[in-house]
Amino acid sequence: MPAKVNVRDLRKRYDGVEAVRGVSFAIEPGEIFGLLGPNGAGKTTTVECIVGLREPDAGELEVCGLDARRHPHEVKQKIGVALQTTSLQDKITPREALQLFGAFYRERAPAGELLERFALTEKADAPVDTLSGGQRQRLALALAFVNRPELVFLDEPTTGLDPQSRRELHAAIAQMKRDGYTVLFTTHYLAEAETLCDRVAIIDRGRIVASGAPRELIAQASGTQSVRLTTSRPLARERLAALPAVSALTTDSAELASAHFETSDAVATLAALTRLLQESRVELLDLQVRKASLEDVFLRLTQEEEP
Amino acid sequence: MNALLEHLRVSLRLHFRNRMALLYGYLFPLIFLVAFWVLYRHEKIPLLRHMGELLTVAVLGGACFGLPTTLVGERERGVWRRYRLSPVPTWAIVTSTVVARYLIILSAGLLQLAVALAVGMTMPEHPFALWVAFTFVSFAFIGLGLVIATLADNVPAVQALGQCIFLPMLIIGGVAVQLASLPLWAQHVSAYFPGRYAVESLQAGVSGRGFAGTRFSLLALGLIGAAGCLAGAKLFRWDAQQRFATRAGKFWLVPALAAWVAVGLLAEWRGRIAVPVDKEIAPVATMEKSPPRGVPTTSASVEGRAPSRPEPQLLPPSTPTVPAPPAATPPVPKSEPAWMRITDKDVAALDYNVPPDQGIVSPMAPPDEQPEDFMKDQVEGVRSKLPTWLPGTDGDDLRCVRNLLYVAAVPDAIQMPVERYLPRVVYQYLLETYPKDKLIKMLTYIALHPEEGGVIDDISDLGVEGSAGDPMVVRERAYLYAIKYIARLTGRVEE
Repeated sequence: MPAKVNVRDLRKRYDGVEAVRGVSFAIEPGEIFGLLGPNGAGKTTTVECIVGLREPDAGELEVCGLDARRHPHEVKQKIGVALQTTSLQDKITPREALQLFGAFYRERAPAGELLERFALTEKADAPVDTLSGGQRQRLALALAFVNRPELVFLDEPTTGLDPQSRRELHAAIAQMKRDGYTVLFTTHYLAEAETLCDRVAIIDRGRIVASGAPRELIAQASGTQSVRLTTSRPLARERLAALPAVSALTTDSAELASAHFETSDAVATLAALTRLLQESRVELLDLQVRKASLEDVFLRLTQEEEP
Repeated sequence: MNALLEHLRVSLRLHFRNRMALLYGYLFPLIFLVAFWVLYRHEKIPLLRHMGELLTVAVLGGACFGLPTTLVGERERGVWRRYRLSPVPTWAIVTSTVVARYLIILSAGLLQLAVALAVGMTMPEHPFALWVAFTFVSFAFIGLGLVIATLADNVPAVQALGQCIFLPMLIIGGVAVQLASLPLWAQHVSAYFPGRYAVESLQAGVSGRGFAGTRFSLLALGLIGAAGCLAGAKLFRWDAQQRFATRAGKFWLVPALAAWVAVGLLAEWRGRIAVPVDKEIAPVATMEKSPPRGVPTTSASVEGRAPSRPEPQLLPPSTPTVPAPPAATPPVPKSEPAWMRITDKDVAALDYNVPPDQGIVSPMAPPDEQPEDFMKDQVEGVRSKLPTWLPGTDGDDLRCVRNLLYVAAVPDAIQMPVERYLPRVVYQYLLETYPKDKLIKMLTYIALHPEEGGVIDDISDLGVEGSAGDPMVVRERAYLYAIKYIARLTGRVEE
């Protein structure tokens, strides 16, 4: 079965700055694909080019078997997009919004069906400005499904949500997977990408620096362990970096300083760390040692890229 | 099409849920209407002469504030970004938004008209022409609204830009202040503003000659609207992150500005700048031949009608609409007053189809009708003071007769209770003071030259307080009473 999304050598430049530099990836049917990256990495620009909000400078975009650059309106008939914010007028109601956007498509799902599916029936006729953050986000998701899409794009859908709303949204995305939808979603939350995505691509400074199933990426880093410590005073960065087997070091300068690093030999590193703390007369407030997660992989990859 | 109808429906619904939109779209124009009603409360037919201005204010508010506020507000919220994700082209949704705005403006205009009718205005004389003019005016200002939406990066900027256009248009653009009241330089400036053409074309539909003579105004509005829509469409921004300063293709603003300049230059070239009516400052030489606009010249244009708005192209100052004295009039010595050259033929050529005596314009009580008790003193006061009233006794006879006609005209213009009785008092006094033949000639001359001489719009020295405000109305009413008196003196009307 052909890929639902095929991006090849995508490039986009703003005011002389190349925001996307030759991005390529593919999304298979029924797959939930995560696009991860720090702010300004180019993931939003990549998604905007695919969904037709931006015209790329170069590259090939194939979406649902169509050339998205030549047939943007046809592609829009087949995709659903949930933006980071709800992007609706204050006084419109969920029912009106679903009817309005439904009227824009050849294929459309009844508003009542979507309201029920996304648990908005009670708020169907309430103005958008009276909805909670979670309800608004569910409405944004409902709008993405208004045309019974083949492919769904979710742009940081959980940003700014409380834990309860985030959990509800995770359940909705998991349901999409069970229903066989193909989903591309961008997120800052690596834990949810690890939980929800079949595959992820990590994008940094306009380029994909790694891609694959989350467990594969973690496996690549399985020889390492992640160490996070908090001390009463900051330790000199160079002294931490000099500890045996340490890599991917990050430090926070604060009154209660914290640091994070990976180690390929946890016993040797912690023995040297204990001596360092004694010599420096710095109190250890917290220490966590665990196997590497997707976040560790992400940090290592994005830091390696730093010039 | 289904998509656009749904968008149109939702746009209209959302408009009526937005309190600020209702405030700007409906209440704000109504405040203007009330203000005009108070200002011009002495006019016979309330607001009739000002509907062009009031409707223009309604369109200006809806198109130059309402439309760009909606567009920019929705752009800032990301609504247009959301629309952009749908398969419907952006231009189609812009079109639907503009159509919705036109309907909103039309409803505001109809509300104004309804309120004006409720306070006593008569029905517009040319409803179809008024609707067409309203559509052209809306088109012109909606184009301007699209340009403002393009220029403004946020809603406060819309307010600032809107005021920059709105206030000059109100003050020196002929919208809130009548052009005739403005200095000539301001009249020149107004020719470059669409507001002037908006008022002219709308007023022609309300109380003017309909389509006749509004071709230039409609052309000007169409040109300005087309240029604005072109610039607005070419520069339309759906993304709030894109600032106008960094946008390419700014040269598309040139057509929008060029249209204003072209219209102004065309008006200058065609000599449409000066306003030839409602003015006391026009050269006497011009007035010699020109009756005041609105003075009835045909039978169909008399009943219940106030003077129409300026229509310069229709009736240049040098074009007489009342027949001038025939050239065959026998020569008279130079020292003899011009009114003495009036012949029976001139008297017969007058248009005697004037409003009825029992009507609201130029009423006149029958000889045997007595004023009610509360008016008696005032009527008798005028009767007793007339023989010694300086404007009616000092100077040449023609001037005195003209001034005495104003004693009948002013109460009518102010709509005072005594308006029915003072014309009778004046008529009686004229009969007693002047020989009949002489009086007929002088009144005929005045009817043929109603703009001559100064106008008296305040007769408080006769015990009648109040000012008519609009000298044009007083002249018009004086003309009507002159005709009525002549009709009685010549037996055309029997009492």
